[in-house]
Amino acid sequence: MLAVDVKNIKKTFISKQDIVEAVKDVSFQVKQGEIFGLLGPNGAGKSTTILMLTTLLSITEGSASVLGIDVASKDKEVREKIGVALQDTGLDNLLTGKELFFTTCRLWGYSKKDSEVRTGELLELVGLTEAAERRVKTYSGGMKRRLDLGLSLVHSPEILFLDEPTTGLDPGSRRVLWDEIKRLRDNGVTIILTTQYLEEADELADRIAIIDEGLVVAEGTADELKASIGGDVITFAFDNYDDLENAKNILKNTVQEKNELRITVEDGASKIPVYLKDLSSNGVEVSSVSASKPTLDDVFLEVTGYRLEGSEDIKKSEEKSKR
Amino acid sequence: MESNRSFLVQLQILTKRMVLRVVRRPLAELPNLIISAFFLFVYDGALGGVFGGAASGTPFDFAKGNFINFILPVSIVSASLSGAASGIYLVEDIESGVFKRYQSMPISRWAIILAPMNVGAFRVLLQSGLILFIGIIIGADPAVGSIGFLIVLSIAFIWGMGFAGYSVAAGVKSGSSQGAQAATFLFFPAIFLAPTFVPREALKGWLETAAAYNPTTYVIEAMRAVMVDGWELDVLFRGYLSAGLFAALTLTLAVISARKATEKA
Ligand SMILES: Nc1ncnc2c1ncn2[C@@H]1O[C@H](COP(=O)(O)OP(=O)(O)OP(=O)(O)O)[C@@H](O)[C@H]1O
Ligand SMILES: [Mg+2]
Repeated sequence: MLAVDVKNIKKTFISKQDIVEAVKDVSFQVKQGEIFGLLGPNGAGKSTTILMLTTLLSITEGSASVLGIDVASKDKEVREKIGVALQDTGLDNLLTGKELFFTTCRLWGYSKKDSEVRTGELLELVGLTEAAERRVKTYSGGMKRRLDLGLSLVHSPEILFLDEPTTGLDPGSRRVLWDEIKRLRDNGVTIILTTQYLEEADELADRIAIIDEGLVVAEGTADELKASIGGDVITFAFDNYDDLENAKNILKNTVQEKNELRITVEDGASKIPVYLKDLSSNGVEVSSVSASKPTLDDVFLEVTGYRLEGSEDIKKSEEKSKR
Repeated sequence: MESNRSFLVQLQILTKRMVLRVVRRPLAELPNLIISAFFLFVYDGALGGVFGGAASGTPFDFAKGNFINFILPVSIVSASLSGAASGIYLVEDIESGVFKRYQSMPISRWAIILAPMNVGAFRVLLQSGLILFIGIIIGADPAVGSIGFLIVLSIAFIWGMGFAGYSVAAGVKSGSSQGAQAATFLFFPAIFLAPTFVPREALKGWLETAAAYNPTTYVIEAMRAVMVDGWELDVLFRGYLSAGLFAALTLTLAVISARKATEKA
């Protein structure tokens, strides 16, 4: 049985001011025990999709099921099976971490005694044992995210929905959460997460759907997606504008980004000398050239026509933190 | 696992959590309590001398010698307005996202909404009870005997729940805690367009008319009857009826708006 089966769902918000098609046509299937990543920029419709699948928003058109249970008609049954951590963490600032876990355990039907035991386990699991007696108000952003994740795990759900679980976290805290999420997957939990970070999708997700403007524009494993571009990406860098413009005419089919030109070809390394010869015989000076396998970044550019902003920043800050 | 919790157990857990929130900010209880006590002390200080004693034997002897008895209902009504915190509690949960989390769990939406109402009710009883207690200490003495205190408290409770319902409806509709807070401004017309300091007959024409349309008037009059005059069943009945109708109206509005808020968009 599929963990999640989404068939052409659509969400239209109608207000007095206007009509917003937040999700136009989204379909995907998630197998049990995998991490499925929904990758997309701000406003792509990720949260709207998650809210529909977690029974918090109605589905305008199409259908979705979780473990074979229809989301629209059997919402209460679906809620029994799923854990949800939304983009905006829903935390009670006046209570302590321990009290939040305890209350949530009780609401899920644990006895007082069992709730105490489970609270201890979960605090340990998300690394909040030390801060357990402190009010949530005093927690850092990373701690709040971990607490939020922990609260979604109280009833040991088979399926976990995480909407941008690491947004706003520093690279270190992000790693901690990634490891936690992987561990859950290894224990058999199916995870559907959204992200606007390419690295996160690349590192975490067993399969990825790229979502843009309410549509799924590509789907597959990271490797499949990269392979779909075909060949290698050769990047030429230029010191001046004229060289770049000339090179553009000579090389054809390039994609420009700042002072660089990219071209995707089969067997890139062996073609570099040919290109360089071509360029230098036309008097174009190349400051550097390299060939690489396509990244998710390249895939994203290919399927949407633009780059996912911010993905570079996280790489840089990650490098910084390594030093 | 199955969550086999009954509605009542869910309500109890959610209420307990809400009480914890209230306990964590004890100072939030103070303003309303102080205003209510203020009515009692300041008006007794200002007017008690005249209407509590000097007016004896004149047509202005409506307090029948004990102005505390006369003014205590105003203080109690003011204390009962603390029920309006229900709406603020609920909207705080909506704003913090806690409400959404509960909605994503298999628990009753009515438990989610009734918990803050419960705490509002506690608050009404607590604050009204405290004011009543102060009143007793400084000399309140119901004409119908001690049962009068219970009657006063029960009317205050119904009235307070009316305000709880009103604040929930206003808060959910506005979707912000400011909205719920703003709702408490109803306090002013409620208290002052009423026979607060003197009986209704003694009010000037326009205010007498306004007071006649203000349900607070009948609530205060019923409490006063018990405190000052004795068993005036028709006045008492009108008081319960006004409070009851007000509560029924606002609680219905609360249910309607809360149902909307918990419905899927
Ligand atoms: N309740 C709503 N009413 C009207 N429009 C909405 C509503 N919720 C979302 N939208 C719109 O739908 C689109 C998709 O929003 P959504 O929150 O699903 O995006 P997202 O992919 O989660 O973005 P982000 O990365 O910023 O969280 C946006 O244009 C948003 O403005
Ligand atoms: Mg989002």
